[in-house]
Amino acid sequence: MAKNNNQLERLAEAPVEFIKDGTAFIQKCKKPGNKDFLKIVRAVGIGFVAVGIIGYAIKLLHIPIRYLIV
Amino acid sequence: MAGFRLIELAKPFAPLLPEVELPYEKIGFDDKVVYTICAALIYVFGQFPLAGLAKNSGLEEQGSAGAVLDPIYFVRGVFAAEPKTLLEFGIFPVVSSALIMQVLAGLKLVRVNFKVRQDRELFQTSTKLFAILQYVVLANVFIFSGYYGTALSVFQIVLLNLQLAAAGLFVTLLVEVIDKGYGFASGAMAITTINIATNFAADVLGVNQILVDSEGHREAQGAVINLFQSLRSSHKTIVGGIVGAFNRDYLPNLTTSLLVIALAGAVCLLNNFRFELPIRSTRARGVNNVYPIRLLYVGGLSVLFSYVLLFYIHILAFILVQVVARNDPSSLLYKIIGGYASSNNLLYVPQFPLSLLTPPKSFIECLTRQPFTPFVFSAFMIVTGIWFAGLWQAISGASARDISVQFKDQGITLTGHREQGITKELEKIVPVASTTGAGILAILVVVGELLGLKGKGASIIVGVSGAFSLLELITAEFQQSGGQSALTQVLGVTGA
Repeated sequence: MAKNNNQLERLAEAPVEFIKDGTAFIQKCKKPGNKDFLKIVRAVGIGFVAVGIIGYAIKLLHIPIRYLIV
Repeated sequence: MAGFRLIELAKPFAPLLPEVELPYEKIGFDDKVVYTICAALIYVFGQFPLAGLAKNSGLEEQGSAGAVLDPIYFVRGVFAAEPKTLLEFGIFPVVSSALIMQVLAGLKLVRVNFKVRQDRELFQTSTKLFAILQYVVLANVFIFSGYYGTALSVFQIVLLNLQLAAAGLFVTLLVEVIDKGYGFASGAMAITTINIATNFAADVLGVNQILVDSEGHREAQGAVINLFQSLRSSHKTIVGGIVGAFNRDYLPNLTTSLLVIALAGAVCLLNNFRFELPIRSTRARGVNNVYPIRLLYVGGLSVLFSYVLLFYIHILAFILVQVVARNDPSSLLYKIIGGYASSNNLLYVPQFPLSLLTPPKSFIECLTRQPFTPFVFSAFMIVTGIWFAGLWQAISGASARDISVQFKDQGITLTGHREQGITKELEKIVPVASTTGAGILAILVVVGELLGLKGKGASIIVGVSGAFSLLELITAEFQQSGGQSALTQVLGVTGA
């Protein structure tokens, strides 16, 4: 019985432990500075939107095709 | 060889399945970029409407109560699936079979010896077979549920099956082209990323006009375009136009667009959190450097895995409720699992208790109609995400042991540790990084979804993480190729 209790306790402790480890880890992480972050966001954002617009242009092609088929 | 092995099942099919040949020579940087983008764009172009749908499943029947509507609308974004097109299921079967086979192999439920070439080939074939099988099964589930119309003739059923299965095979091969080294990263990831980018562009900047009411008024799909249009339109006041642009619920509105952009920014930020391990060379003295370990160690994969499970649960419920019980409120299955209610004549919204695992349509609806959903849904996302991240970092060839072997090969050691201590030190860090990252990402997804993004929150998170991994691979490759690329010269890019 005591062993069971022990296991239960450990099960309850697991999330607490996990959160503790996690926050400690995040605190130790190196975070990007404002300037770096802006640069990265700009690079990823431009790429993302550019590819998106090309894809969207292709999707627009479907409208006349749909009229032709259906 | 004792016992039976699951991958042996794929053996008779190996010669039958078409396969992409490995490239004969090394593919150059430019070619890889072109292959990756073209494969994804071919995918986007492949979203043709299905032929052979029952005519009454179109606009005429939408008003009637019995129509079977889209039951998986909230997972479509993540898997690049477009309703009523050839890509009805998107790349879900490919992603799910790859992830699930890997997980099964990692848990030693499927026994594969990855050191043997024959085993690797069999494993690959069985993954592909599983994917195609899923396309066929899903197609028939949807056909017999009445999703494509109720009274389908035999010819129509065969036609639909052929279309969906052929498209599935095509997508599988498209993904394989990128996977086999013609492109960057994994094919599934490149395709989802580009498709999510496309949907994002369409939701924000889309100019195509869609009929919104019976009076023949049309509104633009893109939220920003719609704002400008409604400022100019004659049948709305300026204030009404602005309010409408922020909270229309039939098409993307500005509120969801802003939320999506905020989520994308948050993922960008998280992607740049890294733990820097000081390392030094064992061969040359005084060469110090850092080895970064990312917080999002497994990237968007943990979210993808949670969504794969979500998809399976909902498809299973759909089979039971729609195909077996015909969504009949008096049947036992309906009472146990919960049925579907139609919304806007477009979506099938699951009812309690199935709704516990369904992201709500809006935040207010979440509070008033499904008050338990936040708890169950978040718990589901977080637990599955963390479990997967913990498993994946151990089996994907980037575990603590793998990194320490890599260190040894390159003559690197952690500053202040002996060579034997490296694995132990890394084991303290890598699992924590991956599980913490997955947990935070899951929370982000939950926040987005509970605010009523209908799958867009999850998809933008997967998309931006995918974009980051792609960018990382591309820059690494670019530097390796010595920065020589005709593409960059044409585009005038100075490098990221």
